[in-house]
Amino acid sequence: MVDTRGQMKIQQMAFMLIAVTLLFVFVGIFFLKIILSDLNQSAEGLEEKNALLTVARLADSPEFSCGSSFGTSRSNCVDFDKVMSLSEIPERYSNFWGVEGISIQRIYPSVEGICTTGNYPDCGEINLFSDEGVGVSNFISLCRKSEQEEVCDVARITVYYGGDYE
Amino acid sequence: MNAFIEKKGIQFSFAWIFAIIVGAFIIFLAIYMSVKVVDTGGGATSAKVGKEIGILLNPLQTGFGESTSNLLTLPVETRIPNRCNSSGNFGIQTIQISQKNFGKWSATNLGLDFENKYIFSGTDVEGTDFFLFSKSFNFPFKVADVVYITSSEEKFCFVGAPESIDQELRELSQENIFLENCPADSVNVCFDSSQVSSEECGIEVRRSRKEVERDGRIVYFEDDALMYAAIFSDADIYECQVQRLMKRTSELLTVYGGKQDLLAQNGCYSNVDLNFFRESILSFRNSEDVFSVANDAKSVGKDNDAERCKLW
Repeated sequence: MVDTRGQMKIQQMAFMLIAVTLLFVFVGIFFLKIILSDLNQSAEGLEEKNALLTVARLADSPEFSCGSSFGTSRSNCVDFDKVMSLSEIPERYSNFWGVEGISIQRIYPSVEGICTTGNYPDCGEINLFSDEGVGVSNFISLCRKSEQEEVCDVARITVYYGGDYE
Repeated sequence: MNAFIEKKGIQFSFAWIFAIIVGAFIIFLAIYMSVKVVDTGGGATSAKVGKEIGILLNPLQTGFGESTSNLLTLPVETRIPNRCNSSGNFGIQTIQISQKNFGKWSATNLGLDFENKYIFSGTDVEGTDFFLFSKSFNFPFKVADVVYITSSEEKFCFVGAPESIDQELRELSQENIFLENCPADSVNVCFDSSQVSSEECGIEVRRSRKEVERDGRIVYFEDDALMYAAIFSDADIYECQVQRLMKRTSELLTVYGGKQDLLAQNGCYSNVDLNFFRESILSFRNSEDVFSVANDAKSVGKDNDAERCKLW
């Protein structure tokens, strides 16, 4: 007669070991999920922080700022002509600021329409790269020069960052 | 008499051998996974700190702030390797942080790339406290704010600095820059007028020839922003970052070219020859060419100042 007691013990042990292994795996997956969730939150938080700090200073960066072209150096002054020129070559600057997109909207006087070379300067909005994602804004003065005078309007600059970490 | 000698020994059943082998495998797997998770966690922390440093450089990077110094304190000893690549439209500044854990530097391949940052420092800067000092680079229009990173463990003694530099550094009040009573372990930064022998100078600044000699290598500068850059950074990093600054100048010329056309459409004409300056920029190979390009930058700057419709 075959002794089945030994075989039973081996089978019991094998099942026990499989159960222990599975327990370890599940606990590991649980902790990994928590760690990855933290990482996603950190990445999103950092993107938001980057967008906030970028929008606060973007108007004074060389690609946007009025510089001294309107007489004296002005803070938070965006050169409309420069931005329009920049919108013609968006592919060169697509990764430059590390954000999804940048847009400028004229608030006062309010003018409708996306700016193109055809309707400039009688337009109300310029989009660089993209206007999708989460946006953070700052107020600026949007200035340009014509033959007779310089014109400054109230505008809003918005920086978009990707909020797609979930 | 028994022909066989009775031997005593430990008898292992198959169940025991099976349990030991599988148990050892499970313990090995658990240790291996724990080490991997700790490594990944260390890498993620380094990447996060790198990104945070990059983001924190934003307020330094733009604005009218001339020569501002900031202290960056990190909770653990950190190594900031400065990696620069001049290929592409703007070149790339890579920040790849490594932090000390249990006496070992965490190895990370997670480098964070920035196109709009220009960091001048040694190849590897180590410490817990770092000084960030920024200055605007104009050529002739504002091109960028360059950032100089030094560790609080590195001390610089400026000897014989001209009045303007002396004044600027006093106003900066950066704790690792000394103008008098220099500590013994500081690196002497000797200017032309200093009476210190070459052997005692770690860095020699010859302002009359607009050159800086550091670690036996000579690099050339045009203005104070590049002079500080040459003092605080390794020669290779300096050359790469200057190359990147020239690339950004060239891209900004495209933006100004577009502005020139738009102004003309509105009856506001500017006769500044941007193409001539662009050709000059494109001929730039290394810092030895900085003088000829700077002359052209000055010439274009004068032309712009004389215009009624200024481009910058």
